[in-house]
Amino acid sequence: MSLLSISARPNRVTCWVLSWFLFAAGICLYFYTAQKRHKENPDDRVVPTIAQIGAGIYQAAMNPDADEEPTADAAAQSAVERFRNGMLWKDTVASSRRFLFGLALLLPAVLLGLHMGLFPYFGVFFLRFILFFDKIIALSVLPILFIAFGIDELSKVMLIVIGVTPTIILDTFNLTKGVPPEQLVKGFTLGARDFDVAYRVVLKQIWPRVLNSIRLNLKPLMLFLFAGEMIASTDGLAYRIALMRRHMGMNIIIPYVLWVALLLFLVDLTMKLLNKRLHPWFREA
Amino acid sequence: MVPGSLTDAGIAQTRIEPEPATDPLIRLENIHVSYALADGACKKVLDSINLDIRRGEFVSVVGRTGCGKSTLLRLILGAERPTVGRVLACGREVVRPDRDRGYVPQKYSLFPDKTVIHNITFGPEVEEFSLLTRFTPRFYGRRREFRSEALRQLRRMGLHESDARKYPDQLSGGMQQRVAIAQALVMKPKILLMDEAFSALDPGTRAGMQKLIRQVWRETKTTVLFVTHNIAEAIHLGTRVIVLAKDGGETDGSKIELDLQVPDLDALAPNQLEEAFAQITARVEAATGHSGLDEEEEG
Repeated sequence: MSLLSISARPNRVTCWVLSWFLFAAGICLYFYTAQKRHKENPDDRVVPTIAQIGAGIYQAAMNPDADEEPTADAAAQSAVERFRNGMLWKDTVASSRRFLFGLALLLPAVLLGLHMGLFPYFGVFFLRFILFFDKIIALSVLPILFIAFGIDELSKVMLIVIGVTPTIILDTFNLTKGVPPEQLVKGFTLGARDFDVAYRVVLKQIWPRVLNSIRLNLKPLMLFLFAGEMIASTDGLAYRIALMRRHMGMNIIIPYVLWVALLLFLVDLTMKLLNKRLHPWFREA
Repeated sequence: MVPGSLTDAGIAQTRIEPEPATDPLIRLENIHVSYALADGACKKVLDSINLDIRRGEFVSVVGRTGCGKSTLLRLILGAERPTVGRVLACGREVVRPDRDRGYVPQKYSLFPDKTVIHNITFGPEVEEFSLLTRFTPRFYGRRREFRSEALRQLRRMGLHESDARKYPDQLSGGMQQRVAIAQALVMKPKILLMDEAFSALDPGTRAGMQKLIRQVWRETKTTVLFVTHNIAEAIHLGTRVIVLAKDGGETDGSKIELDLQVPDLDALAPNQLEEAFAQITARVEAATGHSGLDEEEEG
């Protein structure tokens, strides 16, 4: 059967090999380029070798930020303690805190979308404004945010609010509108009140799809968070990447980029598995 | 409107009489329903509908596709408001759906996120416990009672206890409708409104469901309004058949073309049954202006 046939059915081994091929090719190409550049220029810092990356990872994971005061008993600390004092862990904690705060802000957005979809007065009051709000490019208002809210955490949070919440509100609104009217009527005929229908009928039905929507918006959320951290922050993964850029510290930037991707992948996977486990009735379209 | 009954025709003497009551359970007074179209025109759906439904009746509503059968049901349900006129249930004007009127639609009859048992217990739970009070200890005690009542309803509908933990998408269409009927009946509604509830079922399952709903109606004496486009089904099930049809052109709204009392066909001798059934079918077909087959089957 032709490789380009729609009816082609690759076997299990072929699927496995094909799905990992681009990863393997990318890694090989990287190390080939690194070796070649280092042969030509041993001081090359643009494409670090595997040894340099290893050293960079060790430095990021086990050494504290150079700006921090060195602790007297640093040598006496265990590996776990050194890791917890290392800049990678501290940056991860700082970014995760902001990330989780951003995620928490999406819950009111979901509730607003739900109410807009169910209660007509809510809908007409908010919809036009949210539709307009959704079209604002969040990064374009970054200077305004820094002027209005300062360069503290609030401006970064507001960036997430402007960047991601309108999408979640509108997604939830559309999902709510997509619930068959028969289900609402059914709820009322079974004695449910308005808020029972909203929370015990509609929200429960749309929740897995809302979680999917949030999952798909994790990357934009991180994007806005990183933009905020890169411009005005003293810690966090994006702050470190921006800082290392000034020093051409590619041996730290590359592991950080991969670490962020891995974290995001794990969050995505966890949400996906949780969604499947918590909602066994849900079949993705 | 052509009122009548088979006793008028002198064929059958046996009729299932509804419980005597002074006021009708449902009253539709001079109902007109029309919609504004995009081009500014007005589409009439129902025109001058006056109808009384008494307690204990099994009313079948038939008519061609688009004649307003479901609109009539939705008016009684409270999911739609008439353009002119009013709908009364137990003497009170119907403004929105409530627990007095059970509903079994053709599709989306069950909550997909709830198991069979939770679909059935949803009504009693939500009625007695609000979002906050459902976390009180009393709720857990009552929930056991709700579950045992739900299981009783489930058995009555011919389902097994092992089905209780299944989700709706794990059930066949017929089983889903059985659960939907149990879900509605557990609330002991004053009237059960069924909108093409068996239309999506295969003929064998449909026959089984017809038998079941008839049996449930006999046992519970719940008033039923059954919308269908299958004339034979309407006659088999109903104690009364109402035919909706348009008098004039397509722009006119539908009226009640025929309101016919149906004798208890089960009580008739086989030769009488055939004759009675043929006579009623002929009258209903004449009123609807099409054969007794489902329109899909005709196609």
